[in-house]
Amino acid sequence: MNSAPLEQLDDADLMLRVRSQDDEAAFTLLVSRHQKSLLNFFIRSGVQYDSEDLVQQTFLRLYRYRQRYVASAKFTTFLFLLARQVWIDELRRRQRRQRLAESLAAEPYEEFAAPAAPSAGVAGDLDLARALAALSEGLRQVIELAVYQDLPYAEVAEILEIPVGTVKSRMFNALAKLRELLVEKRGDTP
Amino acid sequence: MNLYAHLSELPAAEATAFRALVTRLRALPQHEPSPLLTSRILAAVADERAHPTLDVQPETRNQKPETQKPRLWYWAAAGLAACLLAVLTLFDRPADPTAADPTVWLAASQEADGSWQPAHHGGDPAYRPALTALAALALARDPADRFSADVRRACDALAALQTPDGAFGGTGRVRAYNHALATYALAALAPQDGPAAAALERAVAYSRANQSVEGGWDYEPGSEGNAAMTSWQVQALAAAAAKGIGQANIPLRKGLVWLRGAARDDGGVAYHRGSPSRSEGLAALTAHTLMTSGQAFEGLPALGRRLTVNLTAKDDAADCYRDYAKVMAFESAGDTARAETVRDGMQLRRQAGAQDPWEPIGGTLYTCAFTALARK
Repeated sequence: MNSAPLEQLDDADLMLRVRSQDDEAAFTLLVSRHQKSLLNFFIRSGVQYDSEDLVQQTFLRLYRYRQRYVASAKFTTFLFLLARQVWIDELRRRQRRQRLAESLAAEPYEEFAAPAAPSAGVAGDLDLARALAALSEGLRQVIELAVYQDLPYAEVAEILEIPVGTVKSRMFNALAKLRELLVEKRGDTP
Repeated sequence: MNLYAHLSELPAAEATAFRALVTRLRALPQHEPSPLLTSRILAAVADERAHPTLDVQPETRNQKPETQKPRLWYWAAAGLAACLLAVLTLFDRPADPTAADPTVWLAASQEADGSWQPAHHGGDPAYRPALTALAALALARDPADRFSADVRRACDALAALQTPDGAFGGTGRVRAYNHALATYALAALAPQDGPAAAALERAVAYSRANQSVEGGWDYEPGSEGNAAMTSWQVQALAAAAAKGIGQANIPLRKGLVWLRGAARDDGGVAYHRGSPSRSEGLAALTAHTLMTSGQAFEGLPALGRRLTVNLTAKDDAADCYRDYAKVMAFESAGDTARAETVRDGMQLRRQAGAQDPWEPIGGTLYTCAFTALARK
């Protein structure tokens, strides 16, 4: 076990401490290092209100499944595997609600919330944020992992459970689609 | 291969355009986590450590766990904490507000406008309506009725804190808890006329408009519901219906149906229906709600009593919210002995200085209000 001060340990060493010693300080450090990137992952995935809840769920799963972690891959790969599963569970919940909402839509006293409007956050590039939100889930996740998390394609492929070649094609399609959406927004001729 | 290696394989013009796009993507503003997120996560993990919910066998590889119906009563608790939390951090003050008579301390802590300001007691100012509601409910339980004027001022303060849409401010969880607790307090305490009564009508309309299609309430509009939020809303609507507010009846019935579906055959209640996890605090809150707010409906009080059967009366860790729910559930079930056991445990843990998981968020108002609410 690496005996350097915690702050100097990399994520994998911290996670190994959590796994073997239930080290609270190490876990706290992992939370502080990664909560922001997870938060933005969920927000960019379209979660409007509960993004911090999903971050909390992800860290709970990280703790709950700590014994499954071995340092054979990057820590972030493991973390975003968990985050993606949290997101999938959330999507399933939403889809189930949507089906029920559709079946009950005739009820006169129900009101349904409009879909969340994409937001660039504070004073941002709203056109680009909206274009990003308009991408399909599969394309947006490749952008999220390869652009924002800066993961190598091999790790993106592992998290999304697709071949590396598919990561490449999705990345190309995602960027092309974004460019197309931005051109449409400006009213230019492609 | 990474992104830039990939882009370098593309024709030059395309690669340049895509690189520029990637630069723009990375320049989009990042959202900052709330200051409380870390403590919420750590509190939830501490709870997981104390009460593991899944039997996860060690694996030899980095395997992803199966997706699951998450055991989310943490959110309930964390949300409650968050909502309730705005209330208390007075530990650096000379007197222990929960030592003898917490209501006296609460009354003395009321602001000039009739509200309670969590920020003055180590809490989050966003939860001012929720904590004003809790404090008012606590004062109203005083057997000698010493605080009736303070309670009236609190009701007027809640009316003043209401926003034009009938809610009480905030977004997401903050909004949900502010609304549920403020509506409950107004329904239980407001006079039949005046600004507080009008505020209650608007609050009930908001509850009705924001109920899920399944009958529950949650933090996100359109979500199915969670047991904690639905319990509070149902209690609020039951009190409003008892006051003669007709528009409360339909959402009350639907909410009770949702809660009935949240009670599992094994006596457990999870934060979200369908989750295999269980939470004693949520089971107690649901049981109390079914026995009291659902007393006019066949089968619901009996279901509530069944939920109390497997509840433990003795806990090691401090948790005022859980203890309050257990006391109310045992009292509603007529089990005064176990209710007293919970109260004793609460008192002992306070005397021992045990840290409530939500104290860092809720401050002294939260602990003090729940301590008062759980008293005989």
